[in-house]
This record gives sequence, structure tokens and C-alpha cells, in this order.
Amino acid sequence: MNKKSGVTRKQEVWGWAFLAPATILIFVMSFWPMIQAFIMSLKKGPAANMVWQEPLFKNYTRILQDKTFLTSMGNTFLYLIIEVPIMLILAILLAQILNNRDLKFRGGFRTMVFMPCAVSLVSYALIFKSLFATQGLINSALMHLHIISENINWLGTTGTARAVIIMGLIWRWTGYNMVFYLAGLQNIEYSVYEAAKIDGANGWKTFWGITVPLLRPVIVMTFIMSINGTLQLFDESVNLTNGGPSNSTITMSHYIWNQSLGVGVAKFGYASALAFVVFIMVGILAFINLKVGDTRD
Amino acid sequence: MKKKLLSLLLVSAMAVSVFAGCGGGSGSSDTSDTGAAEESADAGEEAEAPAAEAEEETVNLGGTSSDPNTLTVAAWDANFNIPALQAAEKAFQASNPDFKLEIKEVSASSDVENAVTLAGSSGDMSQLPDIVLFQDHYIQNYVKNYPDCWQSLEDSGIDWNDFGAEKLSYSTIDGAHYGAPVDNGTSVFAYRVDILEECGYTIDDVTGITWDRWLEIGREVKEKTGKALMSMDHNGDDLPYMMMQAEGQSQWKDGKPNIAGNDTYKQIINVIVTGAQDGVILLCNDWTEYTDTSIIGDQVAGVFNGNWIIPTIEQNEAASGKWEITTVPTLSGSEGYAANGGSSLYITGNCEKADLAKQFLAYTFGGGDGAMATYDDALRNGGVITTCVSASKSDVYQEGVGFFNDQAIYSKIVDMGTHVPTIEQNDYHYDMRELVGNAITNVINGGDIDSELENAQSELEFRMEE
Amino acid sequence: MTEERKMNKSAIQRRLIPSYIFLIIVCFISVFPIYWMLTAATNNTYDVSQGKIFFGTHAVENYHALLQRADDTLNFKGGKGLWKIMGNSFLYAGVQTILCIFICSLAGFGFELYHDKKKDRLFGVLLLAMMIPQVATLIPLFRMMSSMKLLNTVYAFILPAISTPFMIMMFRQNSRNFPPDIMEAARLDGLSEIAMFFRMYMPVMKSTYAAAAVITFMNAWNAYMWPRAVMADNRAATMQMLIANLAGGYTVDYGVLMMGVLFCSVPTMVIFFVLQKQFAEGITGSVK
Repeated sequence: MNKKSGVTRKQEVWGWAFLAPATILIFVMSFWPMIQAFIMSLKKGPAANMVWQEPLFKNYTRILQDKTFLTSMGNTFLYLIIEVPIMLILAILLAQILNNRDLKFRGGFRTMVFMPCAVSLVSYALIFKSLFATQGLINSALMHLHIISENINWLGTTGTARAVIIMGLIWRWTGYNMVFYLAGLQNIEYSVYEAAKIDGANGWKTFWGITVPLLRPVIVMTFIMSINGTLQLFDESVNLTNGGPSNSTITMSHYIWNQSLGVGVAKFGYASALAFVVFIMVGILAFINLKVGDTRD
Repeated sequence: MKKKLLSLLLVSAMAVSVFAGCGGGSGSSDTSDTGAAEESADAGEEAEAPAAEAEEETVNLGGTSSDPNTLTVAAWDANFNIPALQAAEKAFQASNPDFKLEIKEVSASSDVENAVTLAGSSGDMSQLPDIVLFQDHYIQNYVKNYPDCWQSLEDSGIDWNDFGAEKLSYSTIDGAHYGAPVDNGTSVFAYRVDILEECGYTIDDVTGITWDRWLEIGREVKEKTGKALMSMDHNGDDLPYMMMQAEGQSQWKDGKPNIAGNDTYKQIINVIVTGAQDGVILLCNDWTEYTDTSIIGDQVAGVFNGNWIIPTIEQNEAASGKWEITTVPTLSGSEGYAANGGSSLYITGNCEKADLAKQFLAYTFGGGDGAMATYDDALRNGGVITTCVSASKSDVYQEGVGFFNDQAIYSKIVDMGTHVPTIEQNDYHYDMRELVGNAITNVINGGDIDSELENAQSELEFRMEE
Repeated sequence: MTEERKMNKSAIQRRLIPSYIFLIIVCFISVFPIYWMLTAATNNTYDVSQGKIFFGTHAVENYHALLQRADDTLNFKGGKGLWKIMGNSFLYAGVQTILCIFICSLAGFGFELYHDKKKDRLFGVLLLAMMIPQVATLIPLFRMMSSMKLLNTVYAFILPAISTPFMIMMFRQNSRNFPPDIMEAARLDGLSEIAMFFRMYMPVMKSTYAAAAVITFMNAWNAYMWPRAVMADNRAATMQMLIANLAGGYTVDYGVLMMGVLFCSVPTMVIFFVLQKQFAEGITGSVK
């Protein structure tokens, strides 16, 4: 694979030239603003004329006493712990089922499972909001079926509001992850499955014995993407519940948004400090994931 | 087949670009040397896009217009503020036929707040329109933190004595007037007189009463008709604020929260908690439930909020002619006056036609020659009620309103507005509302009122320090 | 073995019944909210709030109200506003998609087919950018755009999103399927490196381009926070801004709102359906 010997100086220059535009853009549009955000996180005051915090790391020590941020962190990790495993397992299961060549209408099923991904984030939050309204469709359906005797206040009660957000996330993203798994499965020789069938392995055994291990790199990738996406979760919290009731569904990004542009005069210094903490959290989790999931060399 | 679809898509993507005036062929036709050069070449081609887009009318891409007779304004709510602005445009055209007002609709007041924050913190004001609508509770701190974003209205020639003092207290910063009032936030307490009658009461029996008496009547109404005497969204929302204002007091003192150990405040919270527990006050979970389910859905015999709630009340046509409005109960039993919500128009630091903008505001919303025409249309088309006393002398304001049992509610509201006491405001108004709301929920669920208010106070103090 | 399979066909289908049931349930849940969106767009706001699940008679009314709101947003007359807003969204998303897949594929090509230790390390550093919360860089980016005088131009909208680590990673992964040997052969034929990219790499990587285009287009189409910050001019309004306007205010008409949501969702759905096959193939290459 490594054709080092054949790489001439001219090619070496070309190689760098190819990746230069993208690299420069990322440095200018992501890393440089992030450095500026870090400097900002050591300051206070309106962003036009900020002054250094005293002591310098006060914005960071303040985080530890910030009950609302700790609540938002708890909420976000709750979504992470419950939603990501359910979603990913469901996605693998669906991929496994859809990979079966004996199954009919595979294309149709696949399309329908992926369909939620084509709905925009704002739109799906609005759809879920109206479905789960107190007088909404879900309640009237449950009433007709005599499962409940009075309307449930889905979005107004802590437990159910969190549940609706989690359901929304699963609905929106399962199909997306499923596509990655299905693609991964198509790279696995189908004969492996045929062989397993002949050996008398049942579906469950094939799933854990063949599918999951062979899909490990894809699983690691989707895991990192999901962790990243969940820790930066924003639209659902804003559009579905606006963080309520009493901040019990607010996410970290939503809280940072409130501190910067959301509510009242912005506290960019503090908001930047919060954002940095989130950045470090995502980094640590992604690193652990890569270490645990690393199978190469 | 695949190939066909792919090329079809690419072609249509190109077609869209070309159609919209963007030089086509970005990326594909270009074969310059390095990737970096490629990028700038692409950029060169697309430079035409903004220019082409602007050709439809003579508008700059910045926040303002190059036309000397055109002002731009950002505002939210197509059913409320925007008709008022359209009315003002029309009124001003009577004296200045070439005048044009370009209204930029935004989704919420927070859009304007964000635009000011970005402009103020980057020092680049080019994104701001000439005039913005800004909500009253926040303006003080935005002017203090981003002074360059605003221009004062001191020399605009507006007669400030013509307006309710409480309304002006928001937009007056260090003694200088900045805002031209648009709507009137005066609170109304509207009752279903037919339901009160059923229980043996008239509108006079609920005017100038104590909250305790109000709760008694409420329990009776609840028992006899099953309806609550008031509803409110979330955990009480602005109820504590309005009730305190009716007492002539603020939740703030010298820039600090004044709720823990405040006896008046505790009594007020107790009224809300008792009311909620007895079913007299119906607490809804979100705004839509408050408006659509409780008010339009006919679950309440009374509505207490800023007068902008009136168009919502009027949506339940079956109750036409059965409502009347009056003042707010207080702890002492005197007639209470309060206000909630509302916004004013401000000239931004980006406005180069400040003279025109001041003329426009003074002539229309500021009580000038076009004020009656402006406010009459604003009321008809948007339900916006003025705080301008002279404009409220118009015939439209004196008419009895059929929906409200032929009561002349609009002039009554303007009159009530002049009685609203001016109280201390704070930028953390909505934090206060959120934390007190949580406290109310906890007390309803059995928490101790004193410790809940102390928690709210200390959390608020934490949020306020930087 | 094939004989045996044929004979057992019905038995196999019978074994698959639980799978079918499971799939039908999942598909129902997946599609139902979309069906609900469609019906809601044809009902008035009261019916929507009461959870009516059948098609109503207010489609035309909602559509006209939507046209009116779009016109109001742009100060347009005669119902062209909606198409102008759609055009804006298509323009921004289209330009961003074309530039993004071009620049990222170039980088993916460079990172994989010219790879060495240094480039691999650089790639690792670039991946870090994936974890930067968007809200953290908002103010510095806004200041940057303002100092470069790019506010209210299409560049301010697209520049931060043209080069993304995810897209580079996708092209880099897919480039592994591109045989380095034919590059050697082409070099012997005297083909320049850049010509190899255009004439050999681009045609071979078609399905990766399709997958990347679908993902980028959807992200660009859905962007809201950043465009709203840098595009203050109402003539530049996008579909997402229109939806936000419809959902704001004291009184929201849910029928009209859902009609707007429908218009906002159709383009992304159509693009996905058209490019579905290529999308799946492109992803397949990236997870090898």
C-alpha cells in the first residue's frame, strides 16, 4: 500500500498542494476562532471591550458552582447513555435484517427507514411537538385505545419530556446510522453468513458472533459521531421543550447558547469557558472510544 | 440509469445557480494549477452573485438602504407589530410621498437582540437596519453595554408628556429618551360577565377587591361552573411581576433581587399557590395551551395579562359580547394597575438618515400629525393599542367594542396605562421569572415557601455576578 | 445447495415472518410523522391542535397564506416570494455542496494517495475540529467575516462549512479503493498529477461524490443559526428562516406552518431518493 519509493519530490509537492485548501480553511475557520474563544474565556464584559477576569480562570471555577450548567450536563449525559445505545443497537439490528438476501422489498423498507433523515431538524422538532401536544394526536389515540384516562402532559413533565426528546432523536437518526451499518455489512462476504447458517447458528448468535465483531470499525465511527452529536445537541432542546420544564431537559449547547446569544446581554467570556469544557469532554470520550475500538496494528 | 440521474441532478443544480445569477461552472470547468488558485478562481466567479441578487430593487446588502427616502426596520410578529409599522408607513407618506419603509420580519424579539449583540461585540454595525423594534424589559442593559448601537431621540421633537410614564421608564436611559413607544403593555383583567352573573356577581364585584376576596369568588365560580377564574402559562409566568406592580412594588431593589424575606412577595406567591391548588388559577404548560386550550377552548371565566392578549380572547367567537375588562385586585383591595410586555422602536447606530428616522417616528408613533392615522390603523389591523394619550382621543378609540359588551375598552386601557406605577426593572427579568416559576411549582408540590424563595434568590444572585 | 434453497423457499419466508413484522412496525413509526406533516398541511390550525389525522380541505388556503407570509418576509408582491426564498436556499446549499465536495475530495485524494507520516499526523489534528462546538466559534467567526467585509454575501454563509473533517475523512477512506498502481501507469504515460485527479479520480469516485453531496446539501439546507447571524438582509432569507418566522409570534397557524415545513422537506427528500443508490455505495466505500 505504501508506495513511498515511487514518490518523487514533485509528487510530494503535489500531495501537499491537494490538501492545502481544505487544511488552510479548517485552520482559519475552526482552529483560529477556537483559540480566540479560549482567550475570550479568560475575560469578562461585553465583547466589544472585554477585560481580563480576576483571577484569570474565574470563568472556569464558576462552572463548578453553576447549578443550571450541571443540570444541563446531567441531562445531556442522560440522553447520551439512553439514546445512543438504543439507537445504535436498533440500527445494527435493522441493517442485519435488511442485509438478508431472502427478504423481499428490501429497497422499499430501507427507503422508509431512512426517510426521517430527510426531514430537517427544525421541521421534525415541530412535528414531534404537535404530535405530543397535550391535546395532540398521541394523547387522543391513547385515549381512544383506553390506555390512558386523561391527557398526558408529555412536554410539560420532566420524565415524559425527556422521553419525547429521546424518542425524537431515535426516530431521526436510527436510519442514518443504519445506512452505515448496511454499507459495512455489504463489505462482509455473504458466504460467511451462509457458512454460519450451515453450522446451525441462529440469528441471535450470528448477530453477536459475526455481525458485531466484523462491524467494529463502523461501530466505533458511528459511536464517535453519535457522542459528538449528542454532546452538542441543540435544536431538539430549543425547539421541542425550550429546555423546560424548569430546565429539566436543557442541553449543554442550549445553555451555552442562552449564555451567549439566547437570553439577555451576552456573557461571551463565560459562554466560551463552557464551550471549551464541552470541547474537552467530547475529545476525551472520542479518545477513549478510539482506544477501546482500535483493532488496527 | 444511475449516470443519467446523477447528471440530471448536477445539471439542475447548475441551472439553479445560473438562474439565481451565480456564475455557473463552479468547480467543474476550472482547471487552474493548484488547489488554492482553484479556490480563488471559484470565488471570483461567484462574486457576481450578490450583485445580481440586489438588482431587483435598489437595496444595499447591508442593513440599510441607499435610497434617501427609504428606511429599514426589523420587527417580529406578522399579526401584531408589522401591521402597526405598515400603518405608520402609510401615515408618513401623507406628508412625504416618496417615503418607503422596508420591514424586515424576524421570528422573535431574540433575533433583534442577537443582531445587536453581534453588531455591538464585533464593532460592525452594517447588519443593523435603521430602526429596530426592541422589547422593553431588555433595552436598558443593551444600551448600557453597546452604547454605539443606538442614537438618542432627545432632539426628535416628540412630546414625551403625551405618553404613559411607566412605558417611557423602560426606554429612558440615564435621563435620555431612546425609544418611541409602539404598543401598550397595560394589563387588563377580563371577565366573562355571563358566568359571573350565573354566580350572582357583576363586574363591579370583582373591581377593587382584595386577592382573598377574589379567591373566594373564584372558588364559587369553580364550584358552580367548573371554570377557573384565570389561567397562566408555565409556572405562573409574569403573574408575580404584574401582581407586584399592582402593589406598586418591584421584585428588584437597587439592582438586586428582592424576593427572599419580602413579606409582600410571599403573600403574592401564596395567592398563586392557593389559587392553583384550589383550581381557581389554571396553570398551563406552554403558551399554545394557555392561548388555544384554556382561553380559546373556553376553560376560564377570566384572563389577566397584557392587553395584547385581547386578540386571543376574541378568537372564541361564541363568547362574543360576554366579556368585560377591569382593573387588577390587590392585597389591600384598592384598584391595581400593571403592565406586561411591550416594545418600542429605536434608531440604531447604523442609521445614516437619523433626521428622516426621527421625523418619521415623531410624526407617527411619537404623537405628531400622523399619530391618529397610525394608531387607528394599527389598532384595526393588528390590535395594537397606543400609550399616546392624544392619539387615543380618536373616534376609533371611543367606540364601544361589541365583543366586550360594547365597553369602550381601548380608551379605558389607555387611561389605565397612565396609572401604572413605575417600578425598578432589571435585565435578569426573565431569569427571575424562570426561577420564581420553579419555586412556585415546588411550593405547589409541598415545598416550603421561605426556603424556595431563598433558593431562587441565591441562584439569581449567582447568575448575576460575572 | 441452490436446489435446496429453492425447495425451502417458502420455509425461509416463513422464518422471516418476525423480521417482516418488525420491519413493518419500524417503517410505520418512521413514516407516520411524515404522513402527519402532510395531513396537517391540509388542515386548519384548530384541527391540527386537536390531532386530526385525515386530509382536510384547507390545503389551498394554507398554501396561499404561506405565499403571503413569504411575500411579506421579502416585501414582495404576487406570490413570488416563496420561490425566491426556495431559490436562495438552493443557491446557498448548491454552491456550498459543489465547493465542499470539490475541496474535500481534493484533500482526501492528497491525504490518502500521497500519504506519509506527516500527512497522517496532520489529518489527526484536523479531526479535532470535528469536536469544536459551533456556538463557541460564533463570535470570532462573525468578527472575522466582518473584518473581511463578507457579511451578507454568500461567502459568509458557506466559508465556514466548505472544509469539514468529516467530508475529508469520507473521501480519504473511499480513496483506499482507488488503485495506486494505475496512477503509476498514468504517470509513465505522462499524465500530470492534477489531470489524474480530474480524469481518473473524479470519475471513479462518482458514488462517493454522490454520498458526500447528499450529506453536505442536507446540512447546508438545514443551517439556521449561522446564516441568520451573517445574512441580515431579508432578500437573503432561507427556508429555515421562513419556518422560524411562521413558528414565532403570539399566534401560530399550525396548518400554514406545516405547509411551510412540507415545502422545506420536499427538496431534501427528493435529492435523497434520486441519489439513494449512489449514497449507499458511497457510504459503503467509506466504512471499508
